[in-house]
Amino acid sequence: MRRRALLAAALLPAAPARAQDLLAQVMAALAATPESRAAFVEEKELPELDRPLVARGVLAWRAPDRLEKRTTEPFQERLLVEGDRLLLERPDRGTRQETPLDAAPEIRPLVEAIRATLAGDAATLAAHHEASAAGTPARWRITLVPRSARVRAAVQRITLEGEHGRLLVVETQGRDGRSRLSATPLP
Amino acid sequence: MRRHAPLLLALLLAAATFALALRHVPLRADIADFLPVAQTEESAFLLRELRGGAGTRLLVAGIEGAAEAELARLSRAMADGLRASGLFALVANGPPQPADAEAALLFARRYALSPATTPEAFTEPALRAALETVLDGLRSSAEPLVRRYGFADPTGAFPALLRGWTQEHRIALRDGVWMADGPRALLLMETRAGGMDPDAQAAAAEAARAAFAAAAPAGGARLLLSGPGVFAAAAAEAIRADVRLVSILSATLVAAFLLWRYRSPLLLGAVALPVLLGALAGLLAVQAAFGHVHGAAFGFGMTMLGVAADYPIVVVAHRAPGETARDAARRVWPTLRLAVATSVAGLTPMLASGFPGLAQLGLFAGAGLLAAALAARLLLPALLPAAPPALRPLPGWSLAVVAGLGARRRFVPWLLAGVAVALLIAGAPRLERDIAALSPVPEALRDLDGTLRGQVGAPDVRLVLSVTAPDAEGALAAAERAAAALLAAGAATVLDHPARWLPSAATQRARLDALPDAATLAARLDAARAGLPFRAGAFAPFLEDVAAARAAGPLTPDALAEAPLLAARLAPLLRPENGAWRALLLPEGARDLAALRAAAAVVPGLLIVDIKAETEAMLDAGIAAALRWGAAGAALVLALLLAGRGRAGPRLALVPAGALLLAFAALHLLGERISVFHLTAALLLAGVGMDYALFMSRMTQEDAAEDARALGAVVTCMVTTLLTFGLLALCRTPVLHAMGLTVCLGVAAAFLLACALAPPRPAPR
Repeated sequence: MRRRALLAAALLPAAPARAQDLLAQVMAALAATPESRAAFVEEKELPELDRPLVARGVLAWRAPDRLEKRTTEPFQERLLVEGDRLLLERPDRGTRQETPLDAAPEIRPLVEAIRATLAGDAATLAAHHEASAAGTPARWRITLVPRSARVRAAVQRITLEGEHGRLLVVETQGRDGRSRLSATPLP
Repeated sequence: MRRHAPLLLALLLAAATFALALRHVPLRADIADFLPVAQTEESAFLLRELRGGAGTRLLVAGIEGAAEAELARLSRAMADGLRASGLFALVANGPPQPADAEAALLFARRYALSPATTPEAFTEPALRAALETVLDGLRSSAEPLVRRYGFADPTGAFPALLRGWTQEHRIALRDGVWMADGPRALLLMETRAGGMDPDAQAAAAEAARAAFAAAAPAGGARLLLSGPGVFAAAAAEAIRADVRLVSILSATLVAAFLLWRYRSPLLLGAVALPVLLGALAGLLAVQAAFGHVHGAAFGFGMTMLGVAADYPIVVVAHRAPGETARDAARRVWPTLRLAVATSVAGLTPMLASGFPGLAQLGLFAGAGLLAAALAARLLLPALLPAAPPALRPLPGWSLAVVAGLGARRRFVPWLLAGVAVALLIAGAPRLERDIAALSPVPEALRDLDGTLRGQVGAPDVRLVLSVTAPDAEGALAAAERAAAALLAAGAATVLDHPARWLPSAATQRARLDALPDAATLAARLDAARAGLPFRAGAFAPFLEDVAAARAAGPLTPDALAEAPLLAARLAPLLRPENGAWRALLLPEGARDLAALRAAAAVVPGLLIVDIKAETEAMLDAGIAAALRWGAAGAALVLALLLAGRGRAGPRLALVPAGALLLAFAALHLLGERISVFHLTAALLLAGVGMDYALFMSRMTQEDAAEDARALGAVVTCMVTTLLTFGLLALCRTPVLHAMGLTVCLGVAAAFLLACALAPPRPAPR
């Protein structure tokens, strides 16, 4: 009896902390993955459109802060975030747009949702989102709610799913549309 | 001790009153006070800009000495505090971020405001292309942005509007705020109060410092601040510090010298009293007439101390053994009276010159000299004991030197003529044409201001175009026409003007008239949508907004209460003025002034002001005016001399005239650039030279003792003046330096000339 009481005492305060533990474990696993490449399929459903839009390409991550999303279908596009720099390139149109992330406070949280997760940088993630984790370190789901009200007006929730140190699904719930990006790790 | 009591009491009283007056009289440092009354429209415009233009309301702040993140935090906290203070029309520490209400207003009015509103943009093919662009954007990674505006603004009127606004110089951003190398966070503030209101400007500078302190700067973070309020305070402080140092030093030296000569602290006090009273009278007279005292007038007045000291010195030095001070004062009075009258006459024309600064100088000096002379004549004898100690005689060799000079008097006209010819051959004197060099603002602060303004991208405006119209709409329309003409002619590469921020109502109406009506637009949109995946109602916000824009009509300058950012950008470029409206155009990259003038001729009434050339012309005009008034003063002095001394008058006048000639020749040799301050000092110098000539002329062959006393008085006067002005020449404040050097050189020359030209007499005993 006494042993069970002790056990309960040990477990009770730990119960709320368990989600935090899981988040920390997932972050640690992600931080241990300095480089990764994955093929992605992105599907957007928008209320203004009568059919979903599909895009395909390759997602590449390199620690500490370089994330590249290279779209090959339906057109070539390169989105690169490195440091404080956001670069959007459309070779078919010859456009190249470079924005300091600092000048785009409404984009930064969306970038960090993925980049800080891949970096396993819990502090940056927490600066922009309220993060909660569910599942197990082997099969986890992190839910992010943007802290900025202005950002929340456009994006209410971002859900990330993955296994160990790999990010597999990014699902963005917008005002009244949603998009789902599924990644398949490449060697 | 009892017999000294009245004098001591009077001294204490005068000193206390002077100190009190100094604490309560506001000092100003506005260089524009020393510029002449405008003769042309260009100079009138420039004077208004210098005195109260947008530039005079701009404060620039830099925060440095900490890590970037801390600097950014301080910048944001300081900006929030300053915005809340209500003192500023604009506080910017990063790119324009319209608040939600303003963004909503601008978005609603985008079709009237945006240059992208053209009839072509609303044809079916153009709409088809716009919809394809929206679809493309939705497929891309920029989808969140595209979705936000694309369905209400598929033609991109709003982005085009914002693009038109951000053609400015770009400053690097860190953590969302402006950051220059260093790192140094930058803020730009525009006060609501005008630049003419020194109290409000000082309050604004104080608010900026308080906001910085309230932001709880950590570590070594420090604030650099520049602006009119800071300038005024720094200039006043610099002048005060210079004057304080010089007054202490020169008072000590003069006192030591007089103590040696008079052998009595009592007589020393007697000299100080008229001087103090003179300074007090000058200060109060200027304060009463102008409501404030210009820093330069104050500095000038303080230097006058050395000259006003001549009067009591002359009274005391002329006392013969056994004579009472009262009798001596009565005996010297006719000469003293003529000396004061000529000095004041020389200064009087400045009162009528029309320069506020020069008028202050004239009034300060004139009132001070009069008060000092009256005090020397009336107050001094009453306060001195009946039999003060005798003066220490001058060494015999000094009298021999003077006698030697007198023996060579025939060379004087040749010397003066030679110098005059040499000056003529050397060409016109170099004039000071850089207005910054005249400013009493310390150079370090001016450099900081230049650096901060450069970093924050506030351009150093060299060229300003301006046009007026009876109403705001007319001014905006004229600005539009002028901008179009200038840009089309390639006379400028970039042009900031009010219609860039708010187009004229006529332009806005023309744009709105170009929008198709609701039914036409809906039909074209439906046709453009064929084959694309958009649902039928997807672009309903677009149709609604176009109809609303057509109904709302143009946005006018009086309806900008909801748009503070736009209003703040517009205010410096478009403003009411004397019942009319003035629009300013600021060109960049204007290399060819002739091409600019040719292009500007298209718009009637467009004024081109070349700031640098115009300022130089005004400074030149200022010097010319000072010369004219100086000549008028000289004529007055000559008339007085002729009336007082008859045919000896012209010979007496040769002393100040020759001293001026020699002083300016020496300034030329020293490489000094002549400014209006040198010329005002010349007026004073002429007065001093006149005094020397008059008192030396009291030497007669009949009474050798009286001759020695006359010479002794002038020597004492000269030494005290040299001790005062010699130190002033070492000051950094341009006005004090210029006057000190001029008077110093001139006084020495005047003394030598006065000795040489004094009546011949037998060698002294």
